Amino acid sequence: MRIPLIIVAIIALAALIGPFLLPWGHAAIDWDYVRAGAFEGGHILGTDDLGRDRLARLLVGTRITMTVALAAALVALVIGVIWGAIAGWMGGRTDEVMMRIVDGLYALPFMFVVILLMVVFGRSILLVFIGIGAVEWLTMARVVRGEVMALKQRPFVLAAEAAGSSGTRTLIRHILPNIGPVAIAYLMLTVPQVVMVESFLSFLGLGVQEPLTSLGILVNEGAEEMDVRPVGLLLPGGILVTIIVCLTLAGERWRDRLTGTGRAKASG
Amino acid sequence: MTIFSLSDFGVHIGARQLVSGVSLEIEAGEIVALAGASGSGKSLTAMTAFGLSAGAGKGSARLDGEELIGLPETALARLRAQHVGFVFQQPLTALTPHRSVAQHLGEAAAQAGGKRPGHSAMIAMLEQVGLADPQSKLKQFPHRLSGGERQRVLIACAIAHAPRLLIADEPTSALDASLRREIIDLLTGICREKQMAMLLVSHDLASIERDADRLLLLKDGEVAEKGKAAKIASQPTSKYGKALMAATPRLTEKLTPLPVPTDRLLEIRDLSVRFRKPGWRSGYIDAVKNASLDLARGETLAVVGGSGSGKSTLGRAVAGLGPVTSGEISWQDERLPSRGKRSRKHRQLMQPVFQDPVASLNPRWSVTDIILEPAQILASPDAPPGQRKSLVTELLREVDLPPEFASRRAAQLSGGQAQRVAIARALSCQPEMLLLDEATSALDPLVADGVSKLFRKLQEERGLALLFITHDLALARRCAHRIAVMEAGEIVECATREKLFGSPSSDAAKRLIAASG
Repeated sequence: MRIPLIIVAIIALAALIGPFLLPWGHAAIDWDYVRAGAFEGGHILGTDDLGRDRLARLLVGTRITMTVALAAALVALVIGVIWGAIAGWMGGRTDEVMMRIVDGLYALPFMFVVILLMVVFGRSILLVFIGIGAVEWLTMARVVRGEVMALKQRPFVLAAEAAGSSGTRTLIRHILPNIGPVAIAYLMLTVPQVVMVESFLSFLGLGVQEPLTSLGILVNEGAEEMDVRPVGLLLPGGILVTIIVCLTLAGERWRDRLTGTGRAKASG
Repeated sequence: MTIFSLSDFGVHIGARQLVSGVSLEIEAGEIVALAGASGSGKSLTAMTAFGLSAGAGKGSARLDGEELIGLPETALARLRAQHVGFVFQQPLTALTPHRSVAQHLGEAAAQAGGKRPGHSAMIAMLEQVGLADPQSKLKQFPHRLSGGERQRVLIACAIAHAPRLLIADEPTSALDASLRREIIDLLTGICREKQMAMLLVSHDLASIERDADRLLLLKDGEVAEKGKAAKIASQPTSKYGKALMAATPRLTEKLTPLPVPTDRLLEIRDLSVRFRKPGWRSGYIDAVKNASLDLARGETLAVVGGSGSGKSTLGRAVAGLGPVTSGEISWQDERLPSRGKRSRKHRQLMQPVFQDPVASLNPRWSVTDIILEPAQILASPDAPPGQRKSLVTELLREVDLPPEFASRRAAQLSGGQAQRVAIARALSCQPEMLLLDEATSALDPLVADGVSKLFRKLQEERGLALLFITHDLALARRCAHRIAVMEAGEIVECATREKLFGSPSSDAAKRLIAASG
């Protein structure tokens, strides 16, 4: 679990600090070196069709993609945990209704919904991650609901009721803290999914708006010139794949650890 | 003829020596028991010689004269398949869920290289283990069978290839008291009749003298005492054996006097609890039917019965932790409202202690927070921090735990310690009654005895009323003034312990007493 996380941390750090160390911004045009090769005129990775520094764009694109992914995953976490916890805790009819809503949303072609939102409300970063977060919370809600229902059966919840703890207090003080690890595991699995979705939207030209950039846009641009300059596609694509694979690995490892020994039962 | 023998047998996992110096011999038709607390290494001893545990064996283990230690896995697998039968504790998990009874039997019989048995042979095998209606049971899957039926199928599988040695690892611990007797009688009967040797692993000391010929008492991986089972059970010579036998309640022991009850606190009249069956319009289950009981200050009332008899449902209904369909619960002539409507004052009167001590504490909380929870909500919400701290120290002292435990986390406690913390929590709001739902049955004999002595002490000091829900009749007889016997949701008999065990009037009580003897 440690190595994938370290790799992601290095990428994140580079994306965060890197742009400040370069003399060019991601949107600045260097008229002297349009379509320059590597190391020409100080551009380490060269420049693109418009004379913008490729390295700067790559780092800023990574930064935007990761920010959007994290923000959208957090939106998913908040909605998912609240929704799932309420459904699992209330049980009965409330649970039925709430989970049928989730099932219904699952059935929608969510990419289509996000695209529709973009078309209707115009393109903005905020909308991108609200849109993605709003569809990615469904799995989180199901996981959290299941976990809450299991915890609800534990005697310490009954003991809390006997101690006079109100339902809301029990939910907040006893149940939610015990959901933490599982929620984090699924958060780690949601982030790569969102990276994927964001890049896909940007690739279609629906995500982040120029001159701001993201990995999806860079992949799109790179694809257009991949016969001449394969690096333009391989670099952003490589970073994208690395982030997704590393986060998925770390998330799955963490989840397996929880379901394996984390819930050891008392030996009778 | 000696079938199985261990001499100076030891087990280690990595560098940790878990069992050492065990020697035993089992003759054909003989039953030898390995007994001890959990973690004493009894299962390891039984399983390791056959390569069925994580440990590695040393010393000598012989089956029919053949040395097992150092044999490669393939040779062990052949030996297991041909000469040894295994019966495990959990009958459901030991059967493969997607295979029918017939498939299990066929596989078990064929594993030793024999032919697959025909239909009539399989029916004979099931009849041999006393399974009713074997014709229809053959086609069924494990989840359709009851716990007792599953265990019978498992036994039929274990003896299908006529093994020389039968290893039974806690074969009855997951079963009801009444079934326990039947299954163990079946096992011992088969052993004697077929001249099989049996190694019985058990923690149930009370019945071991009837089950086994000889007994090895293990403590921390070493033999504390060995000899004739009947002799160890009646006159143990080792210190550990004596302590263990004294801690194990028996129906035959002398009654010791109990604290004298005073005024009546709790009265239950015609209490019924009814659950809707799962599924669409499939009717109701009457978990508790018209139960009436009363309980006085300083009195212990035991509620006994098999699993599914409704005793836990009754207890939870009384404590306001479960639903009530009809009937009245009153406290000193004041009627207690239903579950959600109980005020803090009502909640403060009675507190529960549950069976699974580890699951009844929030694993993320510290012992201090756990203990103070009822006190803070129910008794003194505005107490200053200093006073709270001294309350925790005082309660820990009362349940015989050192004050350092206050800063521990629930996950760091052993079963017995966790149960004591749960008791301290129950006491922290100064209740007048405790609901003990199988509060000692998940604990080892010595620890369980310590906890039940603690209840006794608390009852004397605080005049607590105890509603003691248990499946253990001998324990009920040892510590309860009166005993209510439940069957299928009804209280069929409620009498003083002298009367109930002297002259039981209901069939259910007679059956339970016979099964526990």
